[in-house]
Amino acid sequence: MTTYDAVSLKILQDRLVAIADELVLSLVRTSFSMNVREGYDLSCMLFDARARLLTQGTYSVPSFTGTAPQTIAHMLRVFPAETLRPGDVIMTNDPWMGTGHLFDINVMRPVYKGERLVGFTMSVTHLPDIGGKGMSSDCTDLYHEGLRLPVCKLRDDGVLNDLLLDVIRVNVRVPDQTVGDLMANLACNEVGGRALLEVMQEYGLEEIESLSDAVNAHSEAAMREVLAEIPDGSYENAIQIEGPSQPIRLAVSVEVTGSDVMIDFTGTDGPVRASINVPFCYTRAQANYVIKCLTIPNLPNNEGSMRPITVMAPDDCVLNAQPPWPTGGRHSVGHFVVPLLMGALARAVPDRVQADPAMMNVFSVQGRHRYGEEISSLFFLAGGLGAMRGLDGRAVTPAPSNMTVVPTEVWENRTAITIEKRRILADTGGAGQWRGGPGQEVVFRNDTGHLLEFALMGQRTEFPAKGLAGGGEGSLRRYEVNGEVVNPKARIELAPGDRISMREAGGGGYGDVAQRDPAAERADRERGYVTEPSTGSRSDSTDSEKGGGSLFRPESP
Amino acid sequence: MTHRLGIDIGGTFTDFALVDDTTGELAVHKQLTTPRDPSESVLIGLAAILDQTGVPIADVASVSHGTTLVTNAVIERRGAITGMLVTKGFRDVLDIAMERRYDLFDLRLKFAEPVVPRALRAEIDERVMFDGTIATPLDEAEVEAAAAHLVEEYGVEALAICFLHSYFDPCHELRAHEIVARRYPDLRLTTSSEMLPFMREYERWSTTAVNAYVRPLTDRYLGRLESGLAEMGFAGRLLVMTASGGMVTPAIARRFPARLIESGPAAGALMAACLGERLGEANLLSFDMGGTTAKGALIRDGRPLRRYEFEVARAHEFRQGSGLPLRIPVIDMIEIGAGGGSIAEVDDRNLLAVGPRSAGADPGPACYGRGGEQATLTDANLTLGYLVPDAFLGGRMALDVAAAEDAIGAVVAAGLDVDTVRAAWGIHEVINEDVARAFRVHASEIGFDYRHCAMIAFGGSGPAHAIRVARKLRIPKVVFPVGAGVISAIGLLATPISYATLRSGRTRLDELDQDGLEQGFELVETQAREVLLEAGVSTDAIDMERRLDMRFCGQGHEVEVRLPDRPAVAGLAELFGETYARIFATTPLTAAIEIVNWKIEASGPRPKFADHLHSFAGARPGEEVVRNVQAYRDDTGGFETCPVVDRYALAEGRIVDGPALIQEDEATTVLGPGDRIEVDTFGNLVATLMQTGDVP
Repeated sequence: MTTYDAVSLKILQDRLVAIADELVLSLVRTSFSMNVREGYDLSCMLFDARARLLTQGTYSVPSFTGTAPQTIAHMLRVFPAETLRPGDVIMTNDPWMGTGHLFDINVMRPVYKGERLVGFTMSVTHLPDIGGKGMSSDCTDLYHEGLRLPVCKLRDDGVLNDLLLDVIRVNVRVPDQTVGDLMANLACNEVGGRALLEVMQEYGLEEIESLSDAVNAHSEAAMREVLAEIPDGSYENAIQIEGPSQPIRLAVSVEVTGSDVMIDFTGTDGPVRASINVPFCYTRAQANYVIKCLTIPNLPNNEGSMRPITVMAPDDCVLNAQPPWPTGGRHSVGHFVVPLLMGALARAVPDRVQADPAMMNVFSVQGRHRYGEEISSLFFLAGGLGAMRGLDGRAVTPAPSNMTVVPTEVWENRTAITIEKRRILADTGGAGQWRGGPGQEVVFRNDTGHLLEFALMGQRTEFPAKGLAGGGEGSLRRYEVNGEVVNPKARIELAPGDRISMREAGGGGYGDVAQRDPAAERADRERGYVTEPSTGSRSDSTDSEKGGGSLFRPESP
Repeated sequence: MTHRLGIDIGGTFTDFALVDDTTGELAVHKQLTTPRDPSESVLIGLAAILDQTGVPIADVASVSHGTTLVTNAVIERRGAITGMLVTKGFRDVLDIAMERRYDLFDLRLKFAEPVVPRALRAEIDERVMFDGTIATPLDEAEVEAAAAHLVEEYGVEALAICFLHSYFDPCHELRAHEIVARRYPDLRLTTSSEMLPFMREYERWSTTAVNAYVRPLTDRYLGRLESGLAEMGFAGRLLVMTASGGMVTPAIARRFPARLIESGPAAGALMAACLGERLGEANLLSFDMGGTTAKGALIRDGRPLRRYEFEVARAHEFRQGSGLPLRIPVIDMIEIGAGGGSIAEVDDRNLLAVGPRSAGADPGPACYGRGGEQATLTDANLTLGYLVPDAFLGGRMALDVAAAEDAIGAVVAAGLDVDTVRAAWGIHEVINEDVARAFRVHASEIGFDYRHCAMIAFGGSGPAHAIRVARKLRIPKVVFPVGAGVISAIGLLATPISYATLRSGRTRLDELDQDGLEQGFELVETQAREVLLEAGVSTDAIDMERRLDMRFCGQGHEVEVRLPDRPAVAGLAELFGETYARIFATTPLTAAIEIVNWKIEASGPRPKFADHLHSFAGARPGEEVVRNVQAYRDDTGGFETCPVVDRYALAEGRIVDGPALIQEDEATTVLGPGDRIEVDTFGNLVATLMQTGDVP
């Protein structure tokens, strides 16, 4: 056993994170999946020989925060470590073993120094396609959603599993891209293994278990030190979000005792017949993500840093859905774990929490380009960010996940759908001492000459982003076709020449608006973010324009 | 006209390099920068170096100038009041930006504000579609009214004209330019299509806005410089360095000042490429570390790699995504917040953190004795015995060892529960790791194999860290060129006149014929050729290099493919395949391929001086070993006796074995046990590193 002082620990820990980051970048570069390229919908990890998570790449969406230890445990249950050989590569896309939906493929490879197993590397990426109905919220069970791969060997002792690849090829719409992405995962794990061996050689390490113990113990201690500053107590919250037919209630209670945190989602409604159910691994990842944001944002993800946090959810609630509930769009519900927990912890750590964000607008478009090419893709638009103590919410910024917008010029080239305008919506960010981020309006016109289909999955069309500490609500999201409000969760057909307007929601404000700095208020007016006199809460801006609407606004739970 | 002068303005110093092209003799000079009006320090230093060398100004054929003026103006918001005309419906493009958080976990995000406030952006009714059809003709009256409003109401001095799809068809931008120029001839105008006809409106418009914003001030600055030089009797040519590693005339610099951003470091990378050529090393890493930042560039086949992405005025330290994007051709540089002034502390993870905050030059590191109390990298290097306290900056500044040790002991060592020397080593090694990581990550991003490359190390702090960094990267050879502290100024003398630009135009390879290929380049080639002809380069001396950004249809990232002379359309797929395989180490797919961007780089002849530049070797014959000091070695954790060698006393062919410190005025090269350097015929120190076995 080697011991590590603070200096060695820092250097080696950062080096291991750097390896994982390097893998992330090479995967992003080679991926065909838009989620990976534009939104870092991927992750890379290193484990020691006992399959203990040592480090995870810095950049990945919140849904991968700390899911890997369970995934590798599932894999080693099927293929015990002592039976593995240097040329083996294991994978699965099982939602309950991996990261919550079939799109994510988890690829793992053992690393050997000579004959001896010294560790594992793993990568997870969102595949371009996995068959089934594709990403949509109208699947009613898992079998609609595509191909489910149990824990299996992609490569066995150096020999690629051609049968498996053939099975995948005939089950997906874009076989070259899907298999191309699998191969990129394979290559990245090779590089990861080599990099790990290089570090071991440079620093003369025979094994990494003692380093892993030191890193994990250090991360745990750092995490506990910050958690201990949070006042002990029980912090509760419940919110309503939009379900397929009726609202869904999400509830949480957070028990802080010393440096231990217990997060319990008891009180949450059951699963629904739509592909928005959340496997528990995804719920836990979002919960871990929130704790990380509120404590030490740059702490490496490893088992030590998660050890003080226990997450539980009753069997068969929407945040712990069991097979075969469909889970493809699990983010539509799962992302709300973030504001749910922020709201619960607002009393405990008021300086660190962020008011509700507008959540992302994810929609898919099917149709044909004016020049004949098929259009079938997912797109994203952001609303406003929530405010924090001391910081206004930024306009038009995604949360809790992250996606880069498709520029208008790129969009129009790719689809022949014209974007008529893209403007920030005044008076949509929640009022407050610190204002919520305004949303935006984007108007699309069908200039393709063909019928277009927009599959909408809009949230925050009934339940606005709430403020914190007395801050006001953001405005609601709304979609209009040719000026008529439409069902925000429907498939909409657009005839040539039709327009769809997407009015993205605003973020919640923070603190009492009466305390707002007059200079900040003036700047908002100059920028056109605010035109109305301040009140405690924002109504949807067009409500006043159009004399109100039938938008259902529930009482706060 | 026997001499050429390079002048590089940095944050602290303005560096001068004067070369005699007939003898190869080189003189250098350093002058404190006058931040308020940098032309002042340029003119003072110019007089000083001419005075020192006795060269009459009439003998100076050219002054090649690199400046941070533009970068600083954007960071400090000293540009002009700038307005903007945009396509109706798209006034908010600069605020909506990328719709992206640059950090997922840190919720307190800070973004740079656009240089044109929202109130000064006017929407114009017009619309060109993606395929060039005009959906809405330009409302000319509205253009005139908007310009009048911005000038009369807000007093704008500069105007950016930014319409959608102008990379494809700039007719509306050009017409609007004409209308405004007729009415307001003194207004500085920039259209987004002349700036860079690149698809992606936010980045193109942001670049155009920044360019307009700095035009008036660049104009005034160059005016002062030109008249100052003329008063001194200068009759040669003034050339200005751009970020892409090429010189332009003052006229082009005035029109596209955004292209001058980050030109100083570009000159350093170019000089490294030039040295590599002389040393027969085509693939190189250029490593430049100074007081606040470390910069790296990768050089492939003798050319520094370029890209069309830069970010200025980052609001959150060095975080990518927190600044204003510029689409300008730049030498592809890694920049990290690691330098001599980088502050060491214990972070919220209870781990050692070094940089990116810097103590700067004032108060500077604790050992400067100017009131700095925080421990810095320079303090660590002094504590470890890697700097000689009374030989810093040629002995002009004494360093306080006790102050350095106290600063490290009080915060870092105590916080980490280790002794002061261990903490100092930690600081030193963390920087080595950070630099190595930045190189590694960047190389992996672009598929560059650095393992058989040489490293060229310079800057005030680079030589103290280079060998350790090289070892981590498994690089076998490190070169420490003469004039480590003024490499950028020397690099300005090795830079040709050149102009790089690109045009976006998506074309599927299977729909492209030979004529289409030639036409694709025609527009950008014509523009680049005009710039060079205007600068006095003759047509037959222009070297035109073509590159294409290509990808598989469906992929989001492009691969840059360098084309041979007279490329055949039929060979493009294969060229792409080769490049793709090299970068991604995978077999290319069978999917269709498309071209996204058409790039051109037109260059004049490279100035010839490199062949016989060797004045520093053996410049000051004398004792080689000037003293012995105690220096730290990490393998034992103890100190050992280490000779200090005077670099100026080392003649060609001399070999020095480590441990040793090689001292020159602006830098110290640290050799560890087992390291060996040899002085080559040009006066460079060349280190050959012990090789450990390759990992299988």
